[in-house]
Amino acid sequence: MKRKAAAFLCAVIWVSGVFAGCGRGEVGTQETQQTQTADTQEGGDETDAQGAAAEETAVKDEVVVTMPPTSEPSSGFDPAYGWGAGEHVHEPLIQSTLTVTTQDLQIDTDLATEYSVSGDGLTWTVKIRDDVKFTDGEPLTAEDVAFTYNNCKEKSSVNDFTMMEEAVAVDDTTVEFHMTRPYSIWPYTMAIVGIVPEHAYAENYGMNPIGSGRYIMAQWDQGQQVIFEANPDYYGEEPKIKKVTVLFMEEDAALAAAMAGQVDVAHTAASYSDQEIDGYGLLSVQTVDNRGFNLPCTEPEEADGIVYGNAFTSDVNVRRAINIGIDRQEMIDNVLNGYGMAAYSVCDKMPWYNSGAEVEYDLEEAKRILDEAGWTEGSDGIREKDGVRAEFTLMFSTGDSVRQALAEDTANQLRELGIEVTTEGVGWDVAYDRAQSDPLVWGWGAHTPMELYNIYHTLSDTGIGLAEYSPYGNETVDAYMDAALEADSLEESYELWQQAQWDGTTGVTQDGDIPWIWLCNVDHLYFVRDGLQVAEQKIHPHGHGWSIVNNVDQWSWEG
Amino acid sequence: MKMGNRRIRVLAGLGFSLTFLAVVCIWGSLSTETARVTDFSRVNIPPCLRYPFGTDWLGRDMLARTLKGLSMSIWIGILSAAVSAAVALVLGITSATMGKAADSVISFLIDLIMGVPHILLLILISVALGKGLRGVIIGVSLTHWPSLARLIRAEVIQLRESPYIQIARRLGKGRWYIAGKHMLPHLIPQFIVGLVLLFPHAILHESSVTFLGFGLSTEQPAIGIVLSEAMKYLVTGKWWLALFPGLLLVFTVVMFYVMGESLRKLLDPNSVHQ
Repeated sequence: MKRKAAAFLCAVIWVSGVFAGCGRGEVGTQETQQTQTADTQEGGDETDAQGAAAEETAVKDEVVVTMPPTSEPSSGFDPAYGWGAGEHVHEPLIQSTLTVTTQDLQIDTDLATEYSVSGDGLTWTVKIRDDVKFTDGEPLTAEDVAFTYNNCKEKSSVNDFTMMEEAVAVDDTTVEFHMTRPYSIWPYTMAIVGIVPEHAYAENYGMNPIGSGRYIMAQWDQGQQVIFEANPDYYGEEPKIKKVTVLFMEEDAALAAAMAGQVDVAHTAASYSDQEIDGYGLLSVQTVDNRGFNLPCTEPEEADGIVYGNAFTSDVNVRRAINIGIDRQEMIDNVLNGYGMAAYSVCDKMPWYNSGAEVEYDLEEAKRILDEAGWTEGSDGIREKDGVRAEFTLMFSTGDSVRQALAEDTANQLRELGIEVTTEGVGWDVAYDRAQSDPLVWGWGAHTPMELYNIYHTLSDTGIGLAEYSPYGNETVDAYMDAALEADSLEESYELWQQAQWDGTTGVTQDGDIPWIWLCNVDHLYFVRDGLQVAEQKIHPHGHGWSIVNNVDQWSWEG
Repeated sequence: MKMGNRRIRVLAGLGFSLTFLAVVCIWGSLSTETARVTDFSRVNIPPCLRYPFGTDWLGRDMLARTLKGLSMSIWIGILSAAVSAAVALVLGITSATMGKAADSVISFLIDLIMGVPHILLLILISVALGKGLRGVIIGVSLTHWPSLARLIRAEVIQLRESPYIQIARRLGKGRWYIAGKHMLPHLIPQFIVGLVLLFPHAILHESSVTFLGFGLSTEQPAIGIVLSEAMKYLVTGKWWLALFPGLLLVFTVVMFYVMGESLRKLLDPNSVHQ
């Protein structure tokens, strides 16, 4: 009996050893990361203490902010490789931009003093300030601006610069952009491209960037943190926060760091939002960081080994029924703990948003639409028409708990309509191709109307000549968007973008083709240390990272 | 403390572990549907009478998820252990009976695979095959045979010199005939015990590889998924998400171990009469 007990004990220890072995790796790295953070933190405190000793009345002017590891720019802080201008748009901090987006996402100028466009829309002329210097002391001229844009066009793989032919410096303060086609929303592109110095640009620029922006990158420990210090020669208003430390970590580590009091702003997710942390408050920022899913609009056909279209969702009545058969508020309360806004388009609350997209939740009407269209309930409660079962697979990117929960809730809600939805987690390596035939939960939202174009406009040379991400095509919608790009002014283009969404007879909304269902805009949540005044935020775009520090120079500490 | 003789206690252990594993398997297979149901009216409930294992952030019943996950793991374990053991048996016998060349090739293969850590090779194979159920099963099968193959090879080499094999050879019987007729029956006990002792390995490796994100995809209620999801919520104090599934996994593995040990005692001529 003793031997057996010993064997049993051994087995338990062995098994827990194997598992602890797996766990230990992770905990270990987190621990090192945290001790390192703590080290830098202590280092900071020391200097703080010294500073305080030297000057009793020193005001605290540093912040430590956490961001998800995916926010770390893998190719460095170079606009040509997506810094600021990549999938997740934000202000580049280190560099300055020609224009900026305002609080309500109109356009204002920064480096530019004025800009204008020729009558045919093919030449943009921008005058720039003459008093701006890079942090290495060299003046910023039109040459640098032209170099930056030509460099981006040549190298950028993450951003589209095909509409620009070339940028030319006319004199020291004037730069001309020659376009290949009219592009009325060019100012929105100018708002995200940070200007780099031609004389100090080399292949490894991203590792030690020089700019003319509000901050200088002082230190970058890859995989851990970036430290920014205020630019003393900044031409604009002097930054109130002198030092910004950005730590890259997952949400659970960020929460632990906030609990330990090591950070000032910790990004967090809705599932952690009910946590109470002493000395911290929850900050919720409105976003256009939307989640929705595509519904392929064509009958299935195969091309190049990829199936395009879906027999069930190709019926417009099905798509309309789904759009009003989803209770968005219930979804937000359940999945996001209430931290979100119902979404009806990819661009809610933007100047180019058409509020005609909004619909009321109406289950009975949704059922009526399906009944009328001939989708009748079978014995198992699932509808059917001409041998096609009312079912589809809803995919989500594996490991994303919010998208998983949205997919599960969608499945639950649509079952009441008599539609059977199976959820499946997929990796991005296969998701794009599979989304051509099966709905996928997407996240979008950017500070440019180009996103409408990317989602709804047909591309003749891609796939089967329909929209890029999900089979859909409508000539009228295309025409409005083409006209919007050719418009003479931004105001005029806003109106045309709105008409592309719904012009009274056709569009991409409930009464139109409704090729995408939008569910919610996910609020970005942060635990913020008491006493820190985070300046008012613009509506955040997709990406829970850099947007929060867009205006970090205007933050302040109380008392 | 003495309850019956040792043989009865061993039989009882075997019976208990078999019953436990059968119950987990059957119960898990029956709760396929319950394990996937999400219900937002019952999220994050700590263990109570209705939900003995609590519920998670999607309102899924953790008991059903744990059992379904374990039963999936057990099936994967049985399948891949069986494949592994079959490979080991064939290669082990071939290596010992088919001459020097075959022996050195197979020994080299064994050393090669044993030289690479299991988990690395397993991740490699699983990812190369596109993850998912197929990737995991093939991965586990292909990585777990060497130790058993080596054991069987050693056994056969020893057997080869024993008088009755020598006599059979002198009588002119072929190599395959001897291997099948005289050696195989002798190897059955080692084979069965080895097979059973492969289960816990297979199960643990399946859950580890899934835990690390290289195995089954996240909507499936695999035990590795359950545990890795639980990790994210441990920091918020939801201990039940990890504790019960983890305990049950350990218990399942221990049960397999008890089963293997009992079988060994019953089949091994050294201990069968004790």
